[in-house]
This record gives sequence, C-alpha cells and structure tokens, in this order.
Amino acid sequence: MSQVNTNSYKDKLQAQSQELKWKLKMLKKEPLLLGLIVLILVVLTVFVLFPLFKILSYSLTNEEGKISFQTVVEIIQNSSYRAIFMNSIKLGVISGVLSTIIGYIFAFAITRTELPFKKFFKTMATIPIVSPPFVLSLSIIFLFGRKGLITNGLLGITDFNVYGLHSLVLVQTLSFFPVAYLTLSGILEAIDPSVEDAALNLGASRWKIFRTVTLPLSLPGIVSGFLLVFIQSLQDFSNPAVIGGGYPTLGVEAYRVITGMYELKTGAILAIMLLLPSLLAFLLQRYWVKGKSYVTVTGKPTQIRDKISEKHIVYPLLALCLLFCGVIILFYGTVLYGAFVKTWGINYTFTLDHFKYVVSTGLRPLLNSVFLAIVSTPIAGLLGMIIAFLLVRKDFIGKSYMSLVSLLTFALPGTVVGIGFILAFNEPPLVLTGTAFILICVFVFRNIPVGIEGGMSALRQIDPSIEEASTNLGASSFETFRYVTLPLIKGAFFSGLVYSFVRAMTAVSAIIFLVSARWNVVTTRIFSLFEVSKYSDAAAYIVLMIIVILVAIGVLNLLVSRLDKKRV
Amino acid sequence: MNIKKITSIVLVLVFACALLLQGCSASGSDTLTIYTALPESEIPSYLEAFEADTGIKVEYVRLSAGEILSKLQVEKNNPQASVWYGGPADTFVAAAKEGLLESYKSDELKNIPDNYIDPDGTWSPIYVGALAFACDKEWFDENGLQYPTSWADLLKPEFEGQISMAHPGSSGTAYTILSTIVQLKGEDDTWDYFSELDKNIRQYTKSGSAPPKNVALGEAAIGISFSHDCLKPTAEGYPIELSFPADGTGYEIGGVALIKDGPEMENGQKFIDWCLSAEGQNVYSTNSSFRLPINTEAIVPEGAVNIADLAVIDYDFSWAGENRKRLVEEFTNKVANKDNLK
Repeated sequence: MSQVNTNSYKDKLQAQSQELKWKLKMLKKEPLLLGLIVLILVVLTVFVLFPLFKILSYSLTNEEGKISFQTVVEIIQNSSYRAIFMNSIKLGVISGVLSTIIGYIFAFAITRTELPFKKFFKTMATIPIVSPPFVLSLSIIFLFGRKGLITNGLLGITDFNVYGLHSLVLVQTLSFFPVAYLTLSGILEAIDPSVEDAALNLGASRWKIFRTVTLPLSLPGIVSGFLLVFIQSLQDFSNPAVIGGGYPTLGVEAYRVITGMYELKTGAILAIMLLLPSLLAFLLQRYWVKGKSYVTVTGKPTQIRDKISEKHIVYPLLALCLLFCGVIILFYGTVLYGAFVKTWGINYTFTLDHFKYVVSTGLRPLLNSVFLAIVSTPIAGLLGMIIAFLLVRKDFIGKSYMSLVSLLTFALPGTVVGIGFILAFNEPPLVLTGTAFILICVFVFRNIPVGIEGGMSALRQIDPSIEEASTNLGASSFETFRYVTLPLIKGAFFSGLVYSFVRAMTAVSAIIFLVSARWNVVTTRIFSLFEVSKYSDAAAYIVLMIIVILVAIGVLNLLVSRLDKKRV
Repeated sequence: MNIKKITSIVLVLVFACALLLQGCSASGSDTLTIYTALPESEIPSYLEAFEADTGIKVEYVRLSAGEILSKLQVEKNNPQASVWYGGPADTFVAAAKEGLLESYKSDELKNIPDNYIDPDGTWSPIYVGALAFACDKEWFDENGLQYPTSWADLLKPEFEGQISMAHPGSSGTAYTILSTIVQLKGEDDTWDYFSELDKNIRQYTKSGSAPPKNVALGEAAIGISFSHDCLKPTAEGYPIELSFPADGTGYEIGGVALIKDGPEMENGQKFIDWCLSAEGQNVYSTNSSFRLPINTEAIVPEGAVNIADLAVIDYDFSWAGENRKRLVEEFTNKVANKDNLK
C-alpha cells in the first residue's frame, strides 16, 4: 500500500518537475518576457513586501530587541478589539453589497440599453471617487445634521442623529460604488453581444437572457467589484473618523492607538489584522473564478449589438439611475454651494473670496498633486494591465506570489502603509523619504489592484486563441500585448487609469506620513483647512480638484479610445 | 499614441519637474525643516516673522502631535527635520522618554515662569491654554438657558445629548479634561462624574479641536476644549461664546523641541530662541490664534483669556503623563465602552 503511495508521489513529483522544466523552456524562448516577469517580481518585493516586512518586524520587536508576540496576544484577548473588528467586517459587507448592486445597475443600463443621456450618467457614476471622502461626510452633516438643510430646514427635525453605521453605509456606498461600476462596465462591454443575441433569437425573454447569460458571464466582475469595495471599506479611515460616532472601526482604532495612545506597535498590528479578511476574500475569489470559462470573445465575426430598447426595461432603469444621480448631485451640490458662500452653515451670501484665497495662498499643493497623479497614473495603469495579462495568460514560477503581493498595499490601511514606507526607505540602501518618488511609489502600488482586477476579468472573456494567432503570425509577446490584448481590454485599462489618477489626487491617510516640506499635496492642505473650520475654503479646493479630475478623465478617454485606431 | 511615446513624454515630464524643483530649493545654511502641530492657518504668520527677523527660511510639514511622535519614532535612524514646533507637553514628555529629543536650554527661558519649564530642558514651553466651554449662543438664546459655569453644571438634564468632547484615548485635550477632573475630585468620584456626563455627551470626537467645530455646525450646544480652539470658529463668524468652570480648570502647555540628530541643529536653536522671545510671542496678538504667551515680557492678545484671571488648578503634568495609559483604559472600560459596543 505504502509502496503504491510512494510511487504515485514520485510520479507526481516527476510530473511537476517536468512541468517546471517546460515552463522554463517557454520562458527562455522569450528572454524579454522573462526579464519583465523578474523585474515585476523584484519591484513588488521591494515596494510591497519589504515595507510590510519592516513594519511587522518593528511591531513584533520588544524593548529588549527580541521578537515577541506579546502585543498580538494582548490584542486577541481584548474583547473590545474583537467587537471593533467585527464592526469593520459588517460595514465592509454591507457597503460592498450595496455598491456592487448600484454599480451593476449603472453599468448594465449604460452598456446594454438605449438609455437616454448616457454621457451624463457615465460622468455622474465616476464623480463620487473624485473628492476626498471626508467631504461627503461633511456634506452629510450639512444635509442631515441637527442644523441640516434637509432634516432641520426642510423637515423641521431638530434631533436627528447623523453619526453611526447608517451614515457610514450611505457615504461609503456613495464613495465606492464607482469602483464597482468601472469594473463592471469594463466587463459588460467586453461580453460578445452575439451570445446574448443568439439567446434572443432562440426566443428567450430579456429576463431569461439576463438571468442565464449576462449575469453569469459578468460574475467575475461582480466578485471583483465586491472585493474591491469590501477591501476599501475595511481600510477606509476618513469616513469612520468623521461620522462613525459610536461605531468604531479597526482603521480608526488603529490610528487612535498610534496617535492618541502613542502605541505605534499595537496600532500597526491592529491595522495589519485588517489584511486577514481582505486576503481571505481575495483567496476565495481567486479559487472560485479559477477553473471556470467565461470566454465569449473568440475573434469570429460578430454583428453590432442590438441594445435593449423595451420601455418596461429602460424606464425603471432610468428612474433608478436618476435617483442615484439625484443623491450624488445633492451631496456634491452641497460642496459646490459651500465653496461660494461666505460661511457655510451660517451666512449664505454669495462670494468668490474662497477661490481668491486658494489662488493667492496655495496653488502649489494642487499643482504637486496634479504632477504626482500624471506621473503615477500611466505607470499604475500599464503595470496593472501587464500584471493582469501575465496572470491570466502566462505560466511562470512566482505567479501566485505576484497575484497576492500586488494586492497587499491596497488592502492595508493607509496610515500603516505610510509608516511601513518610512521604516523601509528612510535609511540606506534606499533613501527615498522626502522625494516625490516615494509618493509616486505609494500611488502606483496602492492603486494597481483596480486595474489588475478589471484587466483579469476582461481577459477571462477573451479567447486566448486570438492572441495565439498573433504570436503564430510572428508577433512577439510585446507586440501582441500592445496591438491585440490592450485594445481588447481597453475598457478595463481605462477604468484602471481613471481610478489611479483620482486616487493619486485624493489620497489622505497613506501619504500623511510621507509628505515632506517640498512635496506637500492638496489633500493634506484640505484636511488642515477642515481642522480649523475653514469649510468653504476647503470646498473651493475640492471644486478645483473636481475640475482637474474631470479634464483628466476626458483626456484619458481620448487617449484610450485611440488605442485600437492607430496601428502601425 | 504608442507606449514608447507615452513613456518618453512621462520621462520628460519627470525630469522637467525635477529640474524645476531643484531650482526653487534654497541653499544649505539658511534653511530649517520643522514638523509642526500648530494649525495650518497660523503657521505662515510665525514663519514669516521668523524669516524677517533672522533671514532663515523655514520649510514645514504639518501633522498632529501624535503623528509627529510616530514619525519621529520611525525616522529615528535618519531624522528628516530639526525642530518639533507645537503640540501638548505630554507628547514631548513621551518623546523625551524614548530619547527622540535633544536637550536645549535657551537664554530666553529667563522670562518664563519656572513652573512651566521642563527641568531637563528637553523641550521648552511656547504658550498656555485653559480648558473652556464653547457654547452655541443661538441654542442658549432659543432655549433660554444659562451658560454652564462649573463642571457640575454640565450634568444638568437640559443638556442631554448636547455636549461634545474628544475621546481621551485619541486626544491630548480630552486627556487634560480627564486628568483635571481626577485632580479636582479624586479618582473614585471621577468615574461617577463621567458616567453621569456620558448621558449628556453627543459624540466623543477623535480630535481635541473638533468639539467647538461641532458647536459651530450646530451638532452640539456645548463643546469642551482649550480656549484658543474654542475661539477659532468665532473668527470665521460662527456664534460661539466662552465660559469657564469656576470650580477650577486644567490647562495645557504647548511645546517646542530640538529633534535628536536633526540635520540643522544650529538654525533649530535659533528658532527655539526666537519662539520663546517676546518678539516671537507677540505674533499671538496679531494672528487671531488666541494663544496666551508664556513669556512675561510679551503682549497678551486682545480677546485672549489670561490664565492669571481664571481659577486654574495646580495641574501636575508629570503625574498626568505617568498615569495616562491607566486612566485612559479605565475611561474606555468604565465610561465610553458602552457606546463602543452599541
């Protein structure tokens, strides 16, 4: 019996080593590809794993300089930390589910139906990721607080409690659903319409097609969207800090422990604990999507999609989209309005003073932010697509490592990312603190997962034989990627770029420890204004930021749409 | 546009900006880099005055005091700044304990009362601020109520859900409130007091300067904070009035210190000399910071509350610092935990 076992074990080993040899052989054929893979693995190790390792070893080292798990044990035994941990997860699940549903409704209505005002809805669905999230928290207080324009002004309620889980869910859903929307619209656009048309021609109802074709095919996107929102909600700091009230979350608790109790080590470990649910969700997703085929784009000729135009489908969707847009306009309108009044909440006389103040005292932080965003966006966008391509299409050693590590910086609370980067890059061999480079690195590695998730979901729908055809015709992997793959997944590429740009402009907690005298950015400036009750000045900055971001989205759209037109 | 083009454009941009920024960086010995916990709106007024007096150009990063402490901890082996400017004394004490600060005794200390000075000279005092109640004038007018004038007044049932204070676990201001009550009433009565007060608390905020802002926004009728923070929203036009507990109030001392192994020690010492001098402290009277100078030769700003005119307790800083962790934990367990687990 044992003999047989050993034999089959040996066989397995042999098969594995055989496979390994084959993989290596394939890679040797394309030394450039091999070089690229090695480069990405090295970069990920240096800028993601190394800071995380530094902060772990710092946190676990006790005063005598020895490794000690005392702090970890204390945290696990503390019942209030456990309760706070569960708070975070509950919030993440609720926000994740709601954001994914809303994102799906938007994405479906825009890509699949004859919805009127599509451009308007497209813009509206991306606006909420534009501003630093604490702005929405401020809006909610102005709208629904005790002196709120709606609760008090309109309804006459004087004692509405705006703090707590309900407001957090609302604000997080509003801030994060665009990520789900961007991921999903990329996917829905990539599904070959002939699959749905075939079902329609066979007499299936619209509902049946949706249920049995469209929805199952978009599952990878739904899961990715949920995952991205869930992780973001877990590591969100600004919203729970401003309107969490009696609902503490782990991200805020970690910050409180670090800056209020001066216990950096305990706080860092608390924050790292947030990785557990994020990684678990991530592994479940990878395991679940793996081994299923979602290929619909095969390279065979397809006709142009017939969009759904039935009124009983379009009108309810239109109503829903209008409703969500109404809420978005309400929240952002409040900010816009706040930028033009004398003293927000007290004196509503029209004034341009706040813009004069911004222009006269501090355009440099804004310009710094724009510069950092412009530099980091193409890097993050392309890197995201390349990693997605490698993960879906290529077989190589270190693949699961690449897929896991690329997500880590995204899933950690920003404060800890910042501390990790200081620990890792403030002393030789790599001294980067105080430079723009360190900020760009944070932006790139914190923002690639959105591109990776979108790119992977889109690639899974595309038959690899299209790319194989290109390679067989003599194109290198790079040419194939540039002229075949990238145009095919341009939807996901575009959302990855937009997301990176916006997040680079609006990041707060990740960079609060990394900004230097020379590299101050607009969000920390807004945060400081917020601190001293200059809400209208903060609002003026935000309005300028929104303008910059909308222009950037326009430019990116133009560039990406030209990807498949210009072929050399 | 192909990838090569995009890459080359990006590279050109990077180098152009790098050159640009090289151009505007000032040369070596006339500069000083500081971390400051003072509000963004005040900082330029001090730094411009300092530059006018000494010719030294100051670059700053604005962080909260707790963040500065964390940053010093992780930058320990290669500090990026020379001076830590502003923040409550207890954060400086904590930093000194970890060996993050460089002792420096300025000549200007001669004009500062001894009870405010750190005997080891690891940090120096720059202002004082007393605990006060920021009251929403409109709310009190509408409800026909009197401003609270003692700690006991805060327990009145008509203030149910109307008071905002920070959480002592995240805010030095709130810890000053906590240890003031302990020093006034003794520890046993303290927990009874805060459990009572808890019924009237609307929200424990994260930041110590947030309660007056909540009052400005109408989210609370009374905010407990330092007088200079309480007065700040009034400069923006929010209707807030101050009252003080007549049965004794605690206070904070704002500090400044040299960061150990910082890059510009000499300029750092000049900066501290200037902060403590009458010229440096006179800025408080012109920048509507409402801070009370600690140098007896300096001008007391108009509208600021003179600590000498108030019933101030004999606040024991070293005792407060040593008992911080224990008191905050007890506060969390006995008072605020009910909320946390709701």
